[in-house]
Amino acid sequence: MIRFILRRLLWMIPTLWVVATITFFLMRAAPGGPFQAEKEIPEDIKAALERKYGLDKPLLTQYAAFLGNAVRLDFGPSYKNPGRTVREVIASGFPVSLELGSWALLFALAVGIPIGVVAALNQNKAIDHASMAAALLGVSIPDFVLGPLLVFIFSLSLYWLPPALWEGPSTKILPVITLGSVYVAYIARLTRSGMLEVVRQDWIRTARAKGLSEGLIVWRHALRGGLLPVVSFLGPAAARIVTGAVVVEKIFAIPGLGRSFVDGAFNRDYTLVMGVVLFYASFLILFNLLVDVAYGLLDPRVRLS
Amino acid sequence: MTGFRWPDPGPRPPGRVAAARSVGLILLVLAGLAAVDAARAARNGKPFFGSTRPPAKNILTYNNGAEPEVVDPGLSVGQPDGNVCRIQWEGLTVEHPSTLAPLPGMAERWELSPDGLTYTFHLRKAQWSDGHPVTSGDFLWSWRRVLTAATTARYAGLLYYIKNAEGFHKGTIADPDSIGIAAPDDSTLIVTLENPTPYFLSLTSFYTYMPVPRWCAEKFGPRWSRPENVVVNGPFRCTYWRPTNRFDFEKNQTYWDRDNVKLDGVRAYAIDDLNTSLNLYKAGTTDWNPSGYLPAQFLPYVKDMADFHYAPYLAVYFYSFNVTDPLMKNVWLRRALSWSVDREAICSQLFKGMKIPHGGFVAQGFAGYPYPKGMKFDPVYAKECLAKAGYPDGKGLPRIEIMFNTSEDHRKIAEIIQSMWKEHLGIDVGLSNQEWGSYLRNTTGLNYQVARRSWIGDYADPATFLDCYKKGDGNNRTGWSSATYDSLLVAASRTFDPTARYAILGQAEAILLDECPVMPIYNYTLTELKKPYVKGVEPNLTDTHNLKFAWIDRQWDKPLTP
Repeated sequence: MIRFILRRLLWMIPTLWVVATITFFLMRAAPGGPFQAEKEIPEDIKAALERKYGLDKPLLTQYAAFLGNAVRLDFGPSYKNPGRTVREVIASGFPVSLELGSWALLFALAVGIPIGVVAALNQNKAIDHASMAAALLGVSIPDFVLGPLLVFIFSLSLYWLPPALWEGPSTKILPVITLGSVYVAYIARLTRSGMLEVVRQDWIRTARAKGLSEGLIVWRHALRGGLLPVVSFLGPAAARIVTGAVVVEKIFAIPGLGRSFVDGAFNRDYTLVMGVVLFYASFLILFNLLVDVAYGLLDPRVRLS
Repeated sequence: MTGFRWPDPGPRPPGRVAAARSVGLILLVLAGLAAVDAARAARNGKPFFGSTRPPAKNILTYNNGAEPEVVDPGLSVGQPDGNVCRIQWEGLTVEHPSTLAPLPGMAERWELSPDGLTYTFHLRKAQWSDGHPVTSGDFLWSWRRVLTAATTARYAGLLYYIKNAEGFHKGTIADPDSIGIAAPDDSTLIVTLENPTPYFLSLTSFYTYMPVPRWCAEKFGPRWSRPENVVVNGPFRCTYWRPTNRFDFEKNQTYWDRDNVKLDGVRAYAIDDLNTSLNLYKAGTTDWNPSGYLPAQFLPYVKDMADFHYAPYLAVYFYSFNVTDPLMKNVWLRRALSWSVDREAICSQLFKGMKIPHGGFVAQGFAGYPYPKGMKFDPVYAKECLAKAGYPDGKGLPRIEIMFNTSEDHRKIAEIIQSMWKEHLGIDVGLSNQEWGSYLRNTTGLNYQVARRSWIGDYADPATFLDCYKKGDGNNRTGWSSATYDSLLVAASRTFDPTARYAILGQAEAILLDECPVMPIYNYTLTELKKPYVKGVEPNLTDTHNLKFAWIDRQWDKPLTP
């Protein structure tokens, strides 16, 4: 197990290097640069800015300097907001994205698993069809539709909840629901299929034969196996939910990292984009590793080697 | 005076968000319809958009738009940055909230020499927020800082009106003492100009001319303006900043005019999404949704509300022609294209009368400026021009392409113009929309035929528009130049009599419109929503607002006592 983890961690290094290199050259290949504006920046000032940030040096020199910075985890100041370092942008934005994502995932699990279990236990009955239809609807309504719709109903018509921002529990409800609802649907469907597979197994039949109550069977025996698909889904889902909430962050004006990242890409804020890409990449790799480890613990058939 | 602000919301997210916009549009139009019913109060029979209850505290909350890039008067560019500067620092003069006339700021009074070249400013006794006195030396240092090339101040050019400033900035003059700025004592600042500049007292209220606390800037570097370090001389001081979220400002108790500042503080959100901005206004979180943050599709629904305000703005939307293009170098073709556009129709149909059709390049609103006749919609004349260009009825004309940066509004305008050219000239044109970076590179690199452009005036004078078309100006981007035009601009800059100067500028504009490297389309307008209890924030030509004059009127809905 330890060797497995160590090996995976070692593999991170070449992976991150490839990611960094591709991003670096793609970023430079994109037209324009950080010092472009509709209002012309005078040539001499632009040159001085480029000198200040070393953008006048040959590309390979810049690449080497960037790799050096990356190793030290210091990307310097953001080009667009020179009063902030890239590290500060990540440190202030990521906890917000992480909180938003965690609540959304928790919401998705809390709602999705019970729906899946109920549907599985009532296979092919009305309640099963109804909940799966609802789940399908959930998957099909994208966040950029659900968000404004929820705002319209709960903020602008009923005046119950604030329409945006991230400044207290009441502001967090709508964005969490918006971001989580797509995952509710996925989790419900995965739970249902996992449960259906498990409840046909011999050991469940044995448990029933022993006269255990249905609740206990579901809770103690079926759920553990039935949730395996959900667990394997959880890794990528958690990573996606934390890193990919750009639309929700924008609709609700949440100061998360996703928004800074996308704006950074449009502004050609090289340092910011590079820093965030590497940060996201490490986060994804570590999260996948965590899921593999958890999977091994939950399912004795999986051997980590 | 205004800083530059994106005329459209700037760089745009990719397709998914574009889809979000169109779906969001439908939903929000629904919201807008419902809003009419939900408006809780009404004045003169007109409903208000959302809540009209004043905030509990004496704090004005508004959306300041995109996250400012740099908060530093000498380095800031752009409207959001400029607003944050104007809240915290004060120059020699400040602008009247509605007329924009210069009022005394840090300078108590001033004298101008008879030749119009030398201003002597007398500073009032004022303090920085850390107790230092504000001296003429602060201005001297701050202005020299902007003019030092290594500072990389993008708006350094705004100081070129001062004698030898340009030479010093560009390195041809080494001695900082030769710049026309002198501080003989702590309360006197003597400024010598290159040429008489009738609008110089407006410039001194602009943020590039504001003083920066040297000791603070030198100690903390680029982080000096963060709330934990910042030292100010203006009406408010930043106490809290959460990037991409908000700034909180508290009344500065050392400000010289503190007795006339009625607000206890200002809260400025950084929300770049227009729909979100409007939602927060409707819910009553913000008290003021400034111009530029009202989605166009909402205009028909809010334009009749009592808290909607509309006024002309110092900005022009236009198309430019790349005159280095083998086709577009033909002036008759440019005329044909320019005179076959029905500007009235674009403004009334697409913008529901919320933009002003405009056939000139200098924006409307300059009293006494002799506006040239400008371009009109005349399909018969346009056809004659096309024939003179060598393409009677459009025959033999290769396909032309209109380039614009990705945006719904730009696309709609381009499509209308495409159909007008088809209808009135019989020519086919293609449309090419480009991502922001590519668009900028292609316009500056003269790699286009016809391009969407816009220009927002930097200061309240026609020269802010006309100077763009001087030979070699970075904002020209057409390849066009004219020796007569350039010499008229030089002549105007040496003329002190305002009427004579305006007359010369008018002649220059007439040349520009006659040779039409540009095809003006409309004059921008300000469209803002402001709660009825917000007072002292008035629409003005440059959309600049000094919040020292703002206050919250808790009696707004009470009848006036006789």
